[in-house]
Amino acid sequence: MLDVSSSNTPLVQMVDIYKQFGGIHAVEGVSTDLYPGEVMGVLGHNGAGKSCLMRMLSGAMTPTRGDIFVNGQKAALKSPQDARGFGIETIYQTLALANHLDAPANLFMGRELKTRFGNLDEKRMLAEATDALRQLNPNFKNLRDPVARLSGGQRQVIAIARAIYFQAKILIMDEPTAALGPSETAMVADLTKRLKNEGIGIFLISHDMEDVFELCDRVMVMNKGRNVGTFRIGDVNKDDILSLIIKGTLPDDWEPRGANKESSK
Amino acid sequence: MTAPAEARRLRFLPSGTSIHKLSAVLTLCLLITVFSFTSSAFFSVNNGLTVLLQTSVIGLLAIGMTLVIITGGIDLSVGSVLALSGVVAGLFIKAGLPVVPAMGVGVLAGAACGFVNGFVITKMRITPFVATLGMMLIARGIALQLTGAAPISRLGEAFGELGNGTLFRIVDMQANGFPKVIFPGIPYPVILLAVIAILGAYLLQKRQFGRHIFSAGSNEEAARLSGVNVDRTKIWTYALSGGLAGLSGMVLMSRLVTVQPNEGVMYELDAIAASVIGGASLMGGVGSISGSMIGAFIIGVLRNGLNMAGTSAFVQMIIIGVVVIGAVYIDQIRNKT
Repeated sequence: MLDVSSSNTPLVQMVDIYKQFGGIHAVEGVSTDLYPGEVMGVLGHNGAGKSCLMRMLSGAMTPTRGDIFVNGQKAALKSPQDARGFGIETIYQTLALANHLDAPANLFMGRELKTRFGNLDEKRMLAEATDALRQLNPNFKNLRDPVARLSGGQRQVIAIARAIYFQAKILIMDEPTAALGPSETAMVADLTKRLKNEGIGIFLISHDMEDVFELCDRVMVMNKGRNVGTFRIGDVNKDDILSLIIKGTLPDDWEPRGANKESSK
Repeated sequence: MTAPAEARRLRFLPSGTSIHKLSAVLTLCLLITVFSFTSSAFFSVNNGLTVLLQTSVIGLLAIGMTLVIITGGIDLSVGSVLALSGVVAGLFIKAGLPVVPAMGVGVLAGAACGFVNGFVITKMRITPFVATLGMMLIARGIALQLTGAAPISRLGEAFGELGNGTLFRIVDMQANGFPKVIFPGIPYPVILLAVIAILGAYLLQKRQFGRHIFSAGSNEEAARLSGVNVDRTKIWTYALSGGLAGLSGMVLMSRLVTVQPNEGVMYELDAIAASVIGGASLMGGVGSISGSMIGAFIIGVLRNGLNMAGTSAFVQMIIIGVVVIGAVYIDQIRNKT
């Protein structure tokens, strides 16, 4: 599974990661990797440990045991700031927006732009935010409104813009389309493809099989804190994945299906 | 996308905080008008300056309180910390330290209490209400213990300067040898309040620290995930609140030219009332210094005007209580519609 050839170092390597909360083993011995320009689907039940694993990569949690390598270098991700230092950005399922603040303030939260005198540079933040948000959604208005007043789609756009504005190299998307309508979902799918073409590595947590088969190059399935399998998307179909998610094993008669064989659809 | 956005828009009236501030200013103007009719002495330069002076202590406390409330917390200890800071300054003056450094030590003592509050809240994970309630008792206890509950007096004229001095006092020496006060001067506490309020508003609106106060209060988890050091922000906010409590202690004790270890009881409630009337939300994420100043002056004008109209102190408490509930109720109605 770890094919570390000299020409192709993985962007991220997580090796034998454990996370315990008291007596509960949320993540047990999970290893995975991610290559530039690749979308890795992360699947599993609620509570299977996928969000927990991703939170360790985004620095919101520290592993009990195990190592994380970024570009082959060992990375100690003790805080979200550390992770951002390595170019790891996260779009959280909850969006992680401050409802009382406006779009620019949210976009630059924790990384505010400052003038020479150390004051907040509201003008530049507004200009940059306008650019970043209009790129994703040309109709984006009301930038100065508190984000509590914006629609779900607009809020999602802010969360996404926040991740890509700062030149993410590794992007973690935690159910980015769960709260969106069809047109916005399509927008996120297009964006995912665009970022992938730019060489960004993406971990995509999703429950939506259509999305997974459309966007992902590989999938890893987690069950009860373990990685029960990582596959190229062409080697599995929906039933195989559901079997992994539910039972933790592949169907008994499974063999790699190959990209040219009948796929799930 | 525009349809749901517009539907959502309709549920909120435009810009909540500015409307709240406007209504607070109108309330203040209304009060001043009403009191001008009920008492002829109310609307005068002298009485205006008196109101300003009387409000300065609560105003200073309200600035710190507003910062704390915006982080989603509360500081019940400011009244006691005010007394403890005064006691510390008084004891240092008695020990021979000059007035200015002694007052500096007093303010630092207040900031230290606030720092402890912040530490207990962030690192020991005690809720702000409980942590500052504990500090309220601890600081009051230390102040009473250090002084044996007796006031410290004979602190020298210099100690009274901050509270009683004025700027631009114009006194005309008349032909008969008696001085005539043309302009009573702007009391130092009022100037101090203005300077601190401007600095506070600058900190909150223009500096990264202020933005982090809002982020932490609006969505603490989001702020943390976005790289805001929430614990450090909160600790400094409580330290600032404690320091301002210390400063208001200096002003109050200086006005009395005596250190009273049992001064400042229930001042925290006036400060909270001022912030809340001024539009700060106890849920965090909302509030402004200018609003809280208006709130402080609404309380100050109410007190002064009711005094001049001869209303008893007990009735005043009832009225201010009703005003606080009314202000928050109106705010809620507006946010729901």
